[in-house]
Amino acid sequence: MPLEPRLRKSHLVRNIAVLTPLGFLLTGCSVSGLGFEKGLSSVNDTSLSLWQGAWITAGVVGVFTAGLIFWSVFFHRKKNEDFPKQTQYHIPVEIAYTIIPFIIVAVLFAYTARDESKITSKSVAGVKHNVLVNGIQWAWQFTYPEAGPDATITGSADNPPILYLPQGEKVGFTLTSSDVVHGFWIPAFMIQMQNLPGVTNHLEFTANKLGDYPGRCNILCGRDHAWMRFTVRVVTPAQYQDYITTLKASKS
Amino acid sequence: MTTVAHPPRIDLGAKTAAPSQKGSQFVKWITSTDHKTIGYMYLITSFSWFLIGGILALFLRAELTRPGLQFWSNEQYNQIFTMHGTIMLLLFATPLFVGFTNVIMPLQIGAADVAFPRLNMMSYWLYLFGGIMAFAGFLSPGGAASFGWTAYAPLASSQFSPGIGGDLWVMGLALSGLGTILSGVNFITTIFTMRAPGMTMFRMSIFCWNALLTSILVLLAFPPLAAAFLGLESDRLFGSHIFDPANGGAMLWQHLFWFFGHPEVYILAIPFFGIASEILPVFSRKPIFGYKGLIAATIAISALSVSVWAHHMFASGQVLLPFFSFMTFLIGVPTGVKFFNWIGTMWRGSVTFETPMLWVLGFLITFLFGGLTGIILASPPLDFAVSASYFVVAHFHYVLFGTVVFTMFGGFYFWWPKMTGRMLNERLGKIHFWMTFFGFHLTFLIQHWLGIKGFPRRYADYLPTDGFTFMNEVSTVGAALLAASMIPFMINIWITRKSPMVGVDDPWGYGASLEWATSCPPPRHNFTSMPRIRSERPAFDLHHPHIKTEGH
Repeated sequence: MPLEPRLRKSHLVRNIAVLTPLGFLLTGCSVSGLGFEKGLSSVNDTSLSLWQGAWITAGVVGVFTAGLIFWSVFFHRKKNEDFPKQTQYHIPVEIAYTIIPFIIVAVLFAYTARDESKITSKSVAGVKHNVLVNGIQWAWQFTYPEAGPDATITGSADNPPILYLPQGEKVGFTLTSSDVVHGFWIPAFMIQMQNLPGVTNHLEFTANKLGDYPGRCNILCGRDHAWMRFTVRVVTPAQYQDYITTLKASKS
Repeated sequence: MTTVAHPPRIDLGAKTAAPSQKGSQFVKWITSTDHKTIGYMYLITSFSWFLIGGILALFLRAELTRPGLQFWSNEQYNQIFTMHGTIMLLLFATPLFVGFTNVIMPLQIGAADVAFPRLNMMSYWLYLFGGIMAFAGFLSPGGAASFGWTAYAPLASSQFSPGIGGDLWVMGLALSGLGTILSGVNFITTIFTMRAPGMTMFRMSIFCWNALLTSILVLLAFPPLAAAFLGLESDRLFGSHIFDPANGGAMLWQHLFWFFGHPEVYILAIPFFGIASEILPVFSRKPIFGYKGLIAATIAISALSVSVWAHHMFASGQVLLPFFSFMTFLIGVPTGVKFFNWIGTMWRGSVTFETPMLWVLGFLITFLFGGLTGIILASPPLDFAVSASYFVVAHFHYVLFGTVVFTMFGGFYFWWPKMTGRMLNERLGKIHFWMTFFGFHLTFLIQHWLGIKGFPRRYADYLPTDGFTFMNEVSTVGAALLAASMIPFMINIWITRKSPMVGVDDPWGYGASLEWATSCPPPRHNFTSMPRIRSERPAFDLHHPHIKTEGH
């Protein structure tokens, strides 16, 4: 009978279709941060698990949907001249594929809302240091109010400025722009915010791991947009104090 | 058949013979108010813009292959990506919708033409000259517009972007946008008032439903854009302060622009979902699965698409994140429904893989991945990580190229016999498809990693120490393959230009909608006789009267 081997073949494919997302799930959990590193900043602590969870969900949904597409491509191809059954509606299936995606996005949104309020929350009391971040065409300006009102470091295209941050201490950033819209983005820290002319934006986070991290302007700001880079240097709190002291001395 | 009364035929004799000279053919085309001819003019013009925009994309890829500036200055690079984005979205994809709808929609609803044929013609000329105007900036002393297709205030002001190129861009697009608005009016009127007897709304093809909803979105989205453009030009030319940052102009522009910009994405996507929904049933030999649910999903997507614009502004720090995030997530639900409608159409069908079907399968796979990265970007914390990076560039190319270009070629191969009376070559079509498919994924898949590793969009350059070089090289190789994939298509058009006429109404054999019940190509006013329309598959009922459709 031609039916039997076909059934067996479908079982094999069905097993693969079930096991592949499972494999993805397991590797997704044990493997890295899918491009981001754990523990670099307070934002990573919040966002990384959401990033992983969202990718696992997307992976399962993607493999399932692609599996259905390939299933019909392989097993429902034309075999003879007979017309297939002209099915047009199947109400239970239609209800299922409306409700299940809704549940998936509702769960994703619940986690999103929780994490997003953590990232955007303002805790003036918990902030140990303040830095003003100003964007100009085409450089960054970092001002450290602790070292006096004039303690501003201005970078240039050839000489990108360094933003010093103390390890493990929360910093509040005030974002402004002198001319056009700029984007303050530290890719490794999973955070960005626009510097808008005429608007003052606030951002808070803690850098947790010593080292240098690239920062880049990511909102088109004119000719030398690609040269608007900076470096984030995370140092120990003691080194940070030294830096503030030298800055104060050099500006006075 | 005894039940069908044949209308009286009028023999016009030799007067309708095709003009033999190319010049008179040209005059006939440019003076035409026939929806099909205007549709072909739209398709040819927008496809020409697609090629121009593609060449600009190659210029960008060439520059990014290696760190350092090899071909262009920063300013030139900014002009090239600005015009690439502008051309692809507003001069290629949007008018491509107008082109397909012009050619196909009146045929599918059994109308002789659109409601306002002369307005239709005017829309085309507004589009043509508006587009040329925007592009003509390249000939001006300061070059073309260089503030990105999003034209954020105040970068697009005369203070930060002086030069006539910017003005040509703003007014050219305002003009072309007016053409799009008028097309929207025309299509809505046609669909509401000119359907053939028996063609109820719920017997209309999915493509026509999608054209209707797209036209409604055009009326919602393009007037705010036109207003924003005229305001911007007033700032640039007359020194008004509409988008002055001191008055909150930076955010005002972002809101106005994205209130257009997000529905625009669906203006580009929905008609092409419609093309996919036309092709899948024909090559599965089944009706579209869940017809009414599919229409409901498209209505839901259209409604949601006007309530999610601020997800483009998550990183501005000035929008209500949970609201826009939730609405964006919700779009995933009707989009998922559509996927299952398409899969359900193939399910237990009798699926064959002619070239149009291959393109639709390519669309399904590509758009699936683009949709999933869209769900990730809908979450503000994850958007903060990768927004305005190459991750987003990759995402929207998966969504837009996956939808517009894949189903455009699907539609070309599918309706080529309807439009020209001749089939395109299947073998070349398959070579074309596989080159495009691999070229596309080679170009854009790796850009997700580029974005995660921190490469911002719209950067002319990067450092050797950034670690972006290899990924950019791979992407450029893919772009070269993608560009080369246009060659088999051009050869195909050329070698089949004199191939034999198909001579039947439905060369694919299983066409469902009404355009397959008239000749290839259709006569001047589309139908010499109209079949009875008793379901959403009038042509199928006509050609396969013994096949019963299972309802529920």
